[in-house]
Amino acid sequence: MAAEELPSEFDVVILGTGLVESVVAAACSRVGQRVLHLDRRSYYAANWASFTFNGLLTWIQQHHESQSEEVQDRSSLLEEGEELIYLCNSDSASISNLQTHDFVQSQAPHTDGEEPETAQPQPPTAPSQSEPVRKKISYTHLVKEGRRFNIDLVSKLMFSRGSLVDLLIKSNVSRYAEFKNITRILTYRNGNTEQVPCSRADVFASRQLSVVEKRKLMRFLTSCVEETEEQQVYNGRPYLEFLRDQHLGDNLQHFLLHSIAMVTEDTPTEVGLTSTRHFLRSLGRYGNTPFLFPVYGLGEIPQCFCRMCAVFGGIYCLRHSVQCLLVDKNTNRCKGVIDSRGQRISCSHFVVEDGFVSAERKKVATPPRSISRAVLITDASILPSDSDQQVSMVTVPPIAAGSPSVTMVELCSATMTCAPGTYLVHLTCQSVGSAHEDLSPVVTRMFHTSESHDQDERPSVLWCLYFNMADGSAAQVEGHDLPSNVHMCSGPDGGLGHEHAITQAQSIFDKILPQEDFCPPAPNPEDIIYTEEETKKEGVEEEEEKETTKEGEEEEEEKTNEEEKETKKEKEEEEEETKPLKEE
Amino acid sequence: MHGRLKVKSTAQQEEQKRQEREKKLKIFVAVRDACFSKRKEGIWDDEALKLTQQVLSSNPDFATLWNYRKEILMHQETVKEKDEVQTIYGAELSFLESCLQTNPKSYGSWYHRGWVSSRMPKPDWARELTLCDRCLSLDERNFHCWDYRRMVVKMSGVSVDQELAFTDRLIGSNFSNYSSWHYRSTLLPLLHPESPEPPSPCLKPAQTSPPPSPQTHSHRVCEEQLLKEYELVQNAFFTDPNDQSAWFYYRWLLGRAEREDMISCVYVSRDEERVAVAFSRPVNAQSVGLLLVLDGQPQRVEWRSVHPRFKHSPLWICDLPPGTISDISYEHNLTVHWTEKHIHRDCALYTGRTESYCRDSAMDQELFRSELSVEKTSVLQSELQSCNQLQELEPLNKWCSLTIILLMRALDPLGYEKEMLAHFQTLREVDSMRSAYYSDLCSKFMIENTILKMEYAEVRVFSISDKNLTTLCHLDQLLLVTHINLSSNQLQRLPPQFAMLQCLEVLEADNNSIENLEGLYHLPKLEEVLLKNNKISTLADLQPLASCPKLKRLDLRGNPVTQIANVESELAELLPAVKDLLL
Repeated sequence: MAAEELPSEFDVVILGTGLVESVVAAACSRVGQRVLHLDRRSYYAANWASFTFNGLLTWIQQHHESQSEEVQDRSSLLEEGEELIYLCNSDSASISNLQTHDFVQSQAPHTDGEEPETAQPQPPTAPSQSEPVRKKISYTHLVKEGRRFNIDLVSKLMFSRGSLVDLLIKSNVSRYAEFKNITRILTYRNGNTEQVPCSRADVFASRQLSVVEKRKLMRFLTSCVEETEEQQVYNGRPYLEFLRDQHLGDNLQHFLLHSIAMVTEDTPTEVGLTSTRHFLRSLGRYGNTPFLFPVYGLGEIPQCFCRMCAVFGGIYCLRHSVQCLLVDKNTNRCKGVIDSRGQRISCSHFVVEDGFVSAERKKVATPPRSISRAVLITDASILPSDSDQQVSMVTVPPIAAGSPSVTMVELCSATMTCAPGTYLVHLTCQSVGSAHEDLSPVVTRMFHTSESHDQDERPSVLWCLYFNMADGSAAQVEGHDLPSNVHMCSGPDGGLGHEHAITQAQSIFDKILPQEDFCPPAPNPEDIIYTEEETKKEGVEEEEEKETTKEGEEEEEEKTNEEEKETKKEKEEEEEETKPLKEE
Repeated sequence: MHGRLKVKSTAQQEEQKRQEREKKLKIFVAVRDACFSKRKEGIWDDEALKLTQQVLSSNPDFATLWNYRKEILMHQETVKEKDEVQTIYGAELSFLESCLQTNPKSYGSWYHRGWVSSRMPKPDWARELTLCDRCLSLDERNFHCWDYRRMVVKMSGVSVDQELAFTDRLIGSNFSNYSSWHYRSTLLPLLHPESPEPPSPCLKPAQTSPPPSPQTHSHRVCEEQLLKEYELVQNAFFTDPNDQSAWFYYRWLLGRAEREDMISCVYVSRDEERVAVAFSRPVNAQSVGLLLVLDGQPQRVEWRSVHPRFKHSPLWICDLPPGTISDISYEHNLTVHWTEKHIHRDCALYTGRTESYCRDSAMDQELFRSELSVEKTSVLQSELQSCNQLQELEPLNKWCSLTIILLMRALDPLGYEKEMLAHFQTLREVDSMRSAYYSDLCSKFMIENTILKMEYAEVRVFSISDKNLTTLCHLDQLLLVTHINLSSNQLQRLPPQFAMLQCLEVLEADNNSIENLEGLYHLPKLEEVLLKNNKISTLADLQPLASCPKLKRLDLRGNPVTQIANVESELAELLPAVKDLLL
């Protein structure tokens, strides 16, 4: 790439394209700030990214290889009264204990001869899951169909009335993406996977609940929306105790505690009630469950905000980093940065992903917390139903004393995150041990892995990945040894929703631009006047803006609207090969 | 569309809208007039189609223009090839679709669509069905669409069980849907009809009985399916007991077939030489072919209802020719034929008797269980149990309390009387807006219970004092009562139906709020009327009493009317026969 120079002056320079950084970028650009958004990686969204199967394999490989670039001395670029703060080059510290298991390949001796056949393209409709003999899917097939996968590094869902959805709607960023409802909430209990009735229609249709339980559940759900004195009596006492005293049976206590409040047995009542209300508020806005999932995976979301930033003039460079900060010794403020090519770029604010800040300057919770993750590709749904295109959220309470409670999301091919005939299963929990230690007991219980033999009703795991990721909620917002105009963004947290990230983004924005509105609605595309576009684009390495803007306009004409997501499904299926804003 | 707030727009937007409307109106009026003049000239060309389309797409409820369009299309049918006609109708359907998009509840558009679909040479019913389903998924309560859908289903022969599955689907996604529940109630009897009952030993001759009409017989469902429906609807009302649609369906499920037509009582009085006939439902005796045969001789008699106000009545009376039965030493045999229904009832008046009657008692008829079906007691008992369970959880739910009352009445009206009164008390409290309704309903049930008690005791005295009665009903059941005690209730009037108490001799109605005596009309045997502490305020209110020939004793103490000057002399003039007047 020709070493074209970047403009040397910006209002805000942002390093890292994770969700928080991207939201800050969009918010700043939207109100007229000149934004330079960089990422050292070759892909968007940092630890929030989604990969194709092959992309994920490359990512794994990169993390196995140690990558240390030599640190160049940039002190020659210093001016009077300035000092340098060097940033880390490697962000791999946030990922650990990477481990993959490939169950189809280990069976290769048996299937060698058949492999070419099984690798034949599957019929467009997935094989019915009720068939006694499921078609074996080979590793080659996974690789061949690799582009159909969009595997998220984090597994989260969007609460229909959560802060992310509100922000997407408010800012009109929602027009850049499409969403699907989670179709059902499941829970793992006494060795069985059961559906959790949470909406009125679910409760009505449920076959597990007696009519009296139905009434009790509905009454509890309607009553707990309001705060009452009776609830306050239980403040500080476990939520489970509160539930018991409401004369709710074991069934209902389980559903309410693990699946609706999604808390543990010793969570205090006020916390349990708050999360129950959060769940209930989101219910019914877009469907029978409170959750949405972005088609093509969660990695789309940071990219949507990046696109909004670009539409309003933000400049994007991937594989381009910041090496060090220029700090004014007198004011202890960051005056600018020196990029990985040694160019001096001045800015009034610098926003950085915490992975780039060296450990000694950061203030984090001790001991450091992390999230255990597992990603499985399976050949069947854990609870087969009439439709093989269910998107399920599954809560798995601790399976033994001391083990963590696990949140599982099973995605079907309609979400454009996995190949037809396969399911993509994400498991997440707060780490107790390594990801494998935490999650493999759940996986072996609920799925058929190659270690367990013979005919098995459970879905087979074709491939799986375990890893730990640093918990973004462990990083403190304040108290870092950094200039006051340097803002650190944490990576993904372990929570199911996006509250942590969005709150953080807004607070950073408020610090940068205390007077400005956070992500006001974007005007209609036809009202936007593109003026200096051409001049800005010159001299930008790996320029994406032009493409971005153009695609943005096309998309906008399609009248993307949250509520219309269903009708757009078919269109989506035709266009599955063309994914906006993907590096490839 | 229900429950949405309407948002006021600003004055500026208002003004802008007004101007746009004016502009539109001008165009609209011009095109409309063009359409009218074309129609007047009898022109049925393509341009007329275009013009009407223009008007109708902005106002799809313009019935005249839809009719004009029909004329044009019918004309086109005669002059064009079949294929072309198909295309024209196809275009008409897509035009209608756009009309429905602007107003999905336009009567005109839906009706026209039905017309087009039925005239189309090759209608695509599957497509129409999909259209309906799509419309209903947007608004499950669009009854126009429900209507049209019924037509499509009928024309395309969709099977009943497919339709039942359709209601399953709609109810599953949102059970607050009267249309779906109601549709179910029409489908179930077709799919799971009740097994035919063995012919009941009733009065109607079996071989000549007309085939059961759909209204009275075919709306029952076999028990197995009923139990499934009970379960389904219980799931609904336990999930949301405040949703009335499920409760109404439940009541339909519990309801039973209408009572069969019968002559429930024939009464004959020697003194008055009068016959009274009671029917199981109000009829018009003049038009149903009522025939009175006395000792083998058909009689020419004039049937009249007990009050000139009734054209339909469950009770009819006639006077026999003078002298026919007045001799007490003769026995007479009477038969009343309801020729239209091939039903008759006999009655013998023996020597030495002044009156006689022949009837089915209220108990025999299971009269007052008619609110609910005569299912097996065990089924009703278990339904009552689940409702009681729900009531424990939702003590303030009115639908639940009301249903419990109905179930109790079906099971054992007398045994549950106390509980029933308690439930009514709850209902009046939790639903105070309808407390008068509950009081009336409670009065009705209390009267039913009193009738049953009277029949068990085999007496002709009807006593229902101090029971908070607010209304009187079932008076046709009191034909034979000679003595009635209504004291200390909250009655405000004696309604015209009260005149059905043809045998009444003594009326006790002290301590009510009666201000109207309309029903004391031509009561042939009435001798004593006690109306202490009521609200009779004018002499005109007492006028009906003048028609009762045997009235001797009248107690009006504590009524405003007693304050009128000269009341005594006025009354003496009005009711000269009354010897014993208390003021």
